Amino acid sequence: MNIWQQINESAAGAVATVQRAVVQIVTAEGATGAGVIWRSDGLIITSAHVVVGRQPRRDLRVLLADGTTHPARVLAYDQARDLAALSIPAQGLPVIVPGQSQQVRAGQWLMALGHPWGTPDALTAGVVIGTGSALPESDGRNWLALDAHMRPGHSGGPVFDADGRLFGINTMIRGPQVSFAVPVDEVVAFLSEAAAGGAALPGAPEAAPAPRPQYV
Amino acid sequence: MSEMLKSLSDAMADAVAALSPSIVRVEARKRLPTTGIVWSAEIIVTAHHGVERDDNIKIVLHDGSRHEATLIGRDAQNDLAVLRVPGANLPPAKIGDNAGLRVGNLVLAVGRPGDQVQATLGVVSALIPGAEQKPAEAKGKGRRREGMQVLLDGYVQTDVVMYPGFSGGPLVSGDGAVHGLNTSGFGSGVSVTVPVATIRNTVGTLLAHGKMRQGYLGVGVQPVRLPEAVAHTLKQETGLLVMSVESGSPAHQAGLLVGDIVVALAGSPVEHLDELLALLHSRAGQAVTAGIVRGGEHREMPVTIGERQ
Repeated sequence: MNIWQQINESAAGAVATVQRAVVQIVTAEGATGAGVIWRSDGLIITSAHVVVGRQPRRDLRVLLADGTTHPARVLAYDQARDLAALSIPAQGLPVIVPGQSQQVRAGQWLMALGHPWGTPDALTAGVVIGTGSALPESDGRNWLALDAHMRPGHSGGPVFDADGRLFGINTMIRGPQVSFAVPVDEVVAFLSEAAAGGAALPGAPEAAPAPRPQYV
Repeated sequence: MSEMLKSLSDAMADAVAALSPSIVRVEARKRLPTTGIVWSAEIIVTAHHGVERDDNIKIVLHDGSRHEATLIGRDAQNDLAVLRVPGANLPPAKIGDNAGLRVGNLVLAVGRPGDQVQATLGVVSALIPGAEQKPAEAKGKGRRREGMQVLLDGYVQTDVVMYPGFSGGPLVSGDGAVHGLNTSGFGSGVSVTVPVATIRNTVGTLLAHGKMRQGYLGVGVQPVRLPEAVAHTLKQETGLLVMSVESGSPAHQAGLLVGDIVVALAGSPVEHLDELLALLHSRAGQAVTAGIVRGGEHREMPVTIGERQ
């Protein structure tokens, strides 16, 4: 195998692993976006704009990679960060492996999964343009900018590296070639703030034993 | 480590250079030429939408030589056209098979709209199975597909940039082989690659018959959600509601009525329009069974698929 074939093997392996932790979010009107499974007991992270209109939507369903469908409930959301946490009544789910935002560097090859163009599980990829709050589009918030070809249905899906580690949640595009993701550290901060604010959230991914969310 | 990036870069450039003699320029429309792939000594495949005229088609090879080509036929559904350069002895491209492609693979789109060969880099976004490759037990499962009207029996979706004139050129992977024909002819901003198996089938049919034998039923349909009880029994969420039946058509002769919901054809589930089109594509003249829902009840009826003239 030449190095191109070796790289292709490794990238395909990472995609296949991550894909199992990617969900599709569906409302009564149809598919709205993607999400990632954060905890095996049904905690899912997505973009706020996928699941919240004026109010959190009540007609949400989550389709897992194994083909099963589950009703979903919005546990918490943060429109400034464009993040939301959902729960579905399920156990033993395959989870995404979070990375750390400080590991992201300009020029690094990252991949993004979502369900754009009505196509389930479509991949795009590119290099990191930059991170942080100094990007022209940032409005002072933290972003991860990628030169990948995202489309609206990518929202809520993962940005990950060749090891399958999560570095961001797809959130928006600026033109066909510049895509933005919410950095993974913002996801961690969002979840801890939501838990402190009284949302019925489980702890951080590695924290165990964590309280189980109540499903009513 | 720096050698790895150089090796990758060289592997890509070597693949393009090795394929270059089999990548031709196709002059068959007014302004921008398009790209073609040498399939065999006299045969070139290209994109149907890039061949706007039937006569006065010219092929320009990598050495700059120009040749007259004739149009053997078109497969508009798969956006393919097949050309012949009579008496030529062109070097066929190395052809890969689709089992070699996986989502995440780095791939090149290669074109020759001008004198020089050109390339853009992207990844394989998705491998979309055709209706026939969809196992019966998978129906109704899996993720929701919506809005996509690409009329192909299975295809590869990529995020390669389709530079002007790249339609008709090959998708190339790490083995340096052709894994399909790229086209932007389906619109919607998606880079679609027609798989090798489809090209092979189309070239065979066009060489034998000069045209595709497009099957048809003579119905106007639209996707609808099935009633819950039926959906549960069939393990299928959607079907195609018959909105109109053409008088004297195969559907009319078979007794299909407005209001019927087509849920299967020839043993394969039909949940979306593209599945029905793919199932009809290669079945002109065949007697098959159609699964329909009428008055809330599932039933099967024989239908002989017609040939679109």
